[in-house]
Amino acid sequence: MRHRTTNKPFLERGGFGLLAFVALVVFAFEILPALRLLLTALAPGGNPDPAKALAALSGRSALKAAQATLETAFFSTLLAVPLGTAMALALGITDMRGRRPASFLFVLSVMISPQVIALAFLHLAGPASPILNTLSLAPEAGSANPMLGRGGIILVLGLHHAPLVYVVMSAGLKRIPLAVVEAARVDGARPLSIVIDHALPLLRPHLLGAGLLAFVAGIGNFGIPALLGTPVNYLTLPVLIYRRLSSFGTGMLGDVAALGLLVAAIAILCVAVSQILTHRGEVLLEEDAPLQPFWHLGRARATAEVFVASVIALVLILPMLSLVTAALVPSYGMPLNLGTITLDNFAEVLTRQDATMRAFANSLAYAGSAAGLLAVLAIPMAYTLVRLAGPARIPMTAVLETSYVLPGIVLAIACILLFLKPLPLIGLSLYATPSIILFAYLARFLAVVLKPVLAGMAQIDVAQEEAAALDGAGLTRRLIDVVLPSLLPAAVAGGLMAFLLAFSELTVSALLWSAGTETIGVVLYSLEEAGLASQSSAVAVVIVAVVTLAMLALHALGRYLPAGTLPWHCPTEGTAFAAGEPVRADPNAEAPRPAGARPALTV
Amino acid sequence: MKRLLPLLAALVPAFAQAEGISGNLVLYTSQPNTDAQQTVDAFKTKYPGVNVTFVRDGTPKILAKLSAEFEAGQPQADVLLIADSVTMEGLKKDGRLLAHEKADVSAYPAGTHDPQKFWFATKLITTGIAYNTKASFKPSSWLDLTRPEVKGQLVMPSPLSSGAALIHAATLTGHLAGGWKYYEDLKANGAVAGGGNGDVLKQVAGGQRLYGVIVDYMPIREKAKGAPIEFVFPKEGVSAVTEPVAILKTAKNPEAARAFVDFLISKEGQELALKQGYIAAHPTVALPAGYPPREQIKVMGFDAAKALADETENKAAFADIFGQ
Repeated sequence: MRHRTTNKPFLERGGFGLLAFVALVVFAFEILPALRLLLTALAPGGNPDPAKALAALSGRSALKAAQATLETAFFSTLLAVPLGTAMALALGITDMRGRRPASFLFVLSVMISPQVIALAFLHLAGPASPILNTLSLAPEAGSANPMLGRGGIILVLGLHHAPLVYVVMSAGLKRIPLAVVEAARVDGARPLSIVIDHALPLLRPHLLGAGLLAFVAGIGNFGIPALLGTPVNYLTLPVLIYRRLSSFGTGMLGDVAALGLLVAAIAILCVAVSQILTHRGEVLLEEDAPLQPFWHLGRARATAEVFVASVIALVLILPMLSLVTAALVPSYGMPLNLGTITLDNFAEVLTRQDATMRAFANSLAYAGSAAGLLAVLAIPMAYTLVRLAGPARIPMTAVLETSYVLPGIVLAIACILLFLKPLPLIGLSLYATPSIILFAYLARFLAVVLKPVLAGMAQIDVAQEEAAALDGAGLTRRLIDVVLPSLLPAAVAGGLMAFLLAFSELTVSALLWSAGTETIGVVLYSLEEAGLASQSSAVAVVIVAVVTLAMLALHALGRYLPAGTLPWHCPTEGTAFAAGEPVRADPNAEAPRPAGARPALTV
Repeated sequence: MKRLLPLLAALVPAFAQAEGISGNLVLYTSQPNTDAQQTVDAFKTKYPGVNVTFVRDGTPKILAKLSAEFEAGQPQADVLLIADSVTMEGLKKDGRLLAHEKADVSAYPAGTHDPQKFWFATKLITTGIAYNTKASFKPSSWLDLTRPEVKGQLVMPSPLSSGAALIHAATLTGHLAGGWKYYEDLKANGAVAGGGNGDVLKQVAGGQRLYGVIVDYMPIREKAKGAPIEFVFPKEGVSAVTEPVAILKTAKNPEAARAFVDFLISKEGQELALKQGYIAAHPTVALPAGYPPREQIKVMGFDAAKALADETENKAAFADIFGQ
């Protein structure tokens, strides 16, 4: 009820303009592309023709690709969920050492773009593996690379998406009241039975939600099936869409729009269900302290540490080693030794090839400007959604939320449809310019930037603003003097996160680049397709270096951010065990968010 | 730079021909990145005033991109340097190309270039068989690829990804008895066709598959670097594309485009192709190391007009057999 009374005066002082602005942003970046896609899929050429869309969906290769998409997404989820959950438990409730670096490294692996990870795994196995050849362990020539095809895609997708599950499960763990554990302990329950009897039942909605998110991420993934499936002709829907459009041209737009719609529908359905499940599963009450590590592993501690270290070796260290070795040999398939080691591939991509250097500059520019613009946009948007939007907030955030989980390839088609012909009225054409890529990045990563800013906005006490308003500060003044300083760290963090994801993405730019606007993701894929595997590995190594630096910068920002902003955030090591038994968390360090002001975006 | 250039040109005779040619030039090419970059660099030492940007992809993808740009009303490319003349003929028919009447083709035999000078062949790229040196069976004929020794071990480029692969399919089905039946046999023998020639190179050199159908220069070049791969010219002959260059009618910088074409078909440009490991189109340029003498390379002819007419049909036939 309090909302009503505070909303009114704000609106009277220029809030409508802000509200209209936010509505415009949501319309331009989210609704317009979706409408355009819908129109082309259902009414190609302006006339409703659902039969044509149906024909596109029921073709032999479309059905095969749909099956491939569903099976890889499903089985990879079966791998990601237990792995991510085990990691969340090990790092969230036990007293094992190195929880913080482990969490950082595990989440880093999902921040490295899928095609880089796919490339690394591709070069890790098989008779050509530089690592295996160097160790003389390579399988016999003529044995297929196990990473190519269905099995490899499932494995790599599963490993790559396990950190997503980890993030959701860790957040879920933090929402279990510490009191639940303490009560069980008083009853003499052992840690394992606390986990099984008390924690896991409370986590069930999160478990389902995390599973659905991993599934959706699997459905929409392009980089992994593109690199691991195309060579053996095992195509998922996003790859089929890319292939149709890139090999046959815009005549295919109607067909691929229909296919894109199918992928989008699956994704949206899963996200909606996941949202309902995780929202229903909130258990933390306002007064409760969140869960802290409570499991003294004792002698099992070393085992837990070995498990966590092996997982990190598997998802991050080994693939990175494989990339480095592949980049250091002159030609793919050769072993790495003192006689063959060369930096020539790095020299080639970093100093000789204009396209690669330009692509690095382009990606820095596009990802950087998208991140900057979004950080600026996010502050008034978060303010409007939390303070002004009222009931309109729910549909608006829902629309924003779905945009990020929509497969990038679908967004790319929507952008082509929107901008292929010069814009009506102004006659300006965006196709084949950097603007189309920038537009797509803004649409895709808006939700990512908005998430931490919304979290921060929810923590600003409305009384502060009311005091400023009483002093006669108008909306603009209040935004600049009260809201901006508090939200700045969150906006910067969100921007950095968007930069991280946009810098090496391929899904969006694969269809949108043109002469001079290639991104580094596109160059990596192109080098790999042209057979220059050692050079593409060199590019991948540089990409990983940039992403790691950006993530370290984000980590350094951590302490200025609202709790829960950084997905790899772990409870401080040691504090929970200071007195030999669980200690209530410092309420300031890990304050539960006020009821009803929980960040709306959970991906 | 623009103001300096005439000055420099007056001072240094070598730059004399660069006079007046400047601005941006956009090249769409199917050459691998390294080769495209080398070509651009060599051109730029002669014409330092021209700023060249290139887009690299397989020929079908380049064409798809271009057709989208035609539709958007703003084709970006000035010059095309793509796999095959059949595609160029299609573009010429659609009125997309600009003739370069002043091009000097006197050194070339008739039939190398388009008689109306809409496109010019730059090299000869043949498609033959590559095998990993660890393979015990060494194929010497196209029919060998259907033998049990090759079962499950053959990888080919797909015509959906490679222009050379499309011409290869048109050539082989025209020459071998049974036509498309040959590809049915390959499929029955466990052959896969997914990506482009680059994929074939990686899989065969990497030993994931022992045999590949592939363009000549890739394995020959990687072998020289130390990769365990061999290339065979099968006894029936090889299919060939000529990697033609053409100027688009919509070119924004036709002058620089003409200079680029002139450079590619000049003796100097052709020597560069030799250095990169290609068979140059110019009849007096030597062959790179690793090739048999020019007269021993038997090229199977094919009907270009028919290939153009059947393009979509051939793609569909291939896609149908290999489930794409």
